[in-house]
Amino acid sequence: MIQLHNITKTYHRGKVPTPVLLGIDLRVEAGEFLSIMGPSGSGKSTLLHILGLLDRPSGGSYRLDGEEVASLSDDDLARLRNAKLGFVFQSFHLLPRATALANVQLPFTYAGHFPPDVEERARKALARVGLEHRLHHRPGELSGGECQRVAIARALVNDPELILADEPTGNLDQRSSLEVMSILQGLNNEGRTILLVTHDNAVGCMAHRVLRLIYGRVRSDEKVAEPTQALQQLAALPPPGEQA
Amino acid sequence: MNLSWRLIRAAFSSLWAFRSYALLMMIGLIIGISSLTVIHQIGQGTRQRVLSMMESMGFGADAFFVSGGGGRLSVRRGMKRTMTITPADAEAISRLDGVARVVPHKNVPRTRVSAGGKHTSTRVRGAPPTWAAARRWAVTNGRFLSMEDEQRRARVAVLGTTVVRELFEGKDPLGRRMRIGRTPFTVVGVLASKGSSSWHDRDDLVLIPLATAMMRMSRDDKLSGMRTNLEDPGRLEEIKQEVTELLRRNHKLGPGVPDDFLIITPEELTQLITRQSRALVAMLSFISVVSLFVSGVVIMNIMLVAVSERSYEIGVRRAVGARRRDIMFQVLIESLAVSAAGGLCGLALGLILSSLATLLLDVPTAFSLAGFVWALSFSCLVGLLFGLAPARKAAHLDPVEALR
Repeated sequence: MIQLHNITKTYHRGKVPTPVLLGIDLRVEAGEFLSIMGPSGSGKSTLLHILGLLDRPSGGSYRLDGEEVASLSDDDLARLRNAKLGFVFQSFHLLPRATALANVQLPFTYAGHFPPDVEERARKALARVGLEHRLHHRPGELSGGECQRVAIARALVNDPELILADEPTGNLDQRSSLEVMSILQGLNNEGRTILLVTHDNAVGCMAHRVLRLIYGRVRSDEKVAEPTQALQQLAALPPPGEQA
Repeated sequence: MNLSWRLIRAAFSSLWAFRSYALLMMIGLIIGISSLTVIHQIGQGTRQRVLSMMESMGFGADAFFVSGGGGRLSVRRGMKRTMTITPADAEAISRLDGVARVVPHKNVPRTRVSAGGKHTSTRVRGAPPTWAAARRWAVTNGRFLSMEDEQRRARVAVLGTTVVRELFEGKDPLGRRMRIGRTPFTVVGVLASKGSSSWHDRDDLVLIPLATAMMRMSRDDKLSGMRTNLEDPGRLEEIKQEVTELLRRNHKLGPGVPDDFLIITPEELTQLITRQSRALVAMLSFISVVSLFVSGVVIMNIMLVAVSERSYEIGVRRAVGARRRDIMFQVLIESLAVSAAGGLCGLALGLILSSLATLLLDVPTAFSLAGFVWALSFSCLVGLLFGLAPARKAAHLDPVEALR
């Protein structure tokens, strides 16, 4: 599904160019659950942005479903993001004044074709993340975990092949983190490819494969023998009322 | 639902979300557009007033007025002019080649008129029998002044409907006695109502025979003025020149002495009345254009700030597939919507202000669809023009940066 060859990225913000990625080779098959880990500054977020077509590499080749995306125009990248990708961000990035339902419908605004059952699909996506009872709440009226689940529903509503999550549990407590991760694992079980950036080892080990970066290079790329199941962990937690 | 419709909806919902900003952006526009509207309404109203005034005087392109006293034309009410035109002048002008008809009149100063214990103050005017036909002014009751009245210097009067109402409470005044000043008169006719505008009641008028006005009601034998109708409107300038020469000769005015009379053509009258408002209109237009420009700059800056504040929203939209031009379109629609709404509010305020001006200050105003369309398109233009920079900024935000 994804083939990276010698991807580099250098930022030219100040006077001195800052190299961030120094040549990444990566192959991700459809249906994989890959977590990208590394200390801050290792380039993991930059790599995710490049994989998510939000940023362009400075060099190298990136094939998504066999299509070389480095040569695509901005508009084509936008179309691909809309059709194939779903994003989940650390700070949710929901539209604050829109209801959960409206937030989830956002990708359809920019879809070339507009299905007639938009609202129905948004409801289904929200039900998929367990928020069928929060359709008309605004982000301010939801907990962090609920917000992140709305964001997942938004990433999901267009039925994307690939979901990219940038530190999705970074702003969440343990229970919410596990809920979010169990949803992502569930989506993976349905066959969706998931790329996850995290610096939390416990979260990283819920993926099938962990890619570790350091200083812009791949340090290790290992299969996880037995990924932690978020659902089991969740069940092992004491009920919410008894938590200190 | 096509894409642009969805983008328009997105624009309006974010406008609603940022409604306090939107209001701030609209204030300048409201001021600019409302003052433009007021200006336009006043201009339009003035033109209509001039037109209706000229129409009421039966003042077509084939006629001009000759009025006593020199100097510049002025529309100030109650102006005093030295009376210099004599019946002989009128006689001489009527004999000029190309002159169809001369209808002189003599104004008696505003006078108290009374009947049966009631009294009022009104315009009294001496008029020849040809006056009614020349003004296309009909008599609805009784008769108009006749040649015989003129020869006998009869003390008969034809009343406007306002005077009938004031003195006779609307009862049939024919044959009734009344006094103009202290002189007794008999009512012989009632003029058709010409209606009144807020500034001028055309029915507030008493007509008496010209000779009666000249001999009985005033101490001089001068006319107030005369209406001169031409056979051919195309010769107006030429005949105006001849009349000038004739009057200067008759009044024995040497070279260098200014005219002691005034010839007023319909053209000049229109110019005169519009000239008064023109300076005001120019100044107000300038102010409102400046304020529209300022409001455009305000819109631009607030939108620029809003774009920075909402950068993550733009980032999210880009992440879920918005193209640069979708973002640009959305921001442009937003500024367009703000400016259109501001324009509409300004228009409404302008309409209210101009009706107040009519009501309280007796300023003529008139609604015009052209002004409406103009105000709206002008404000939209401001929005579009000054929305361009924020829209470009939003469209060129780096999504990765915007999401940080």
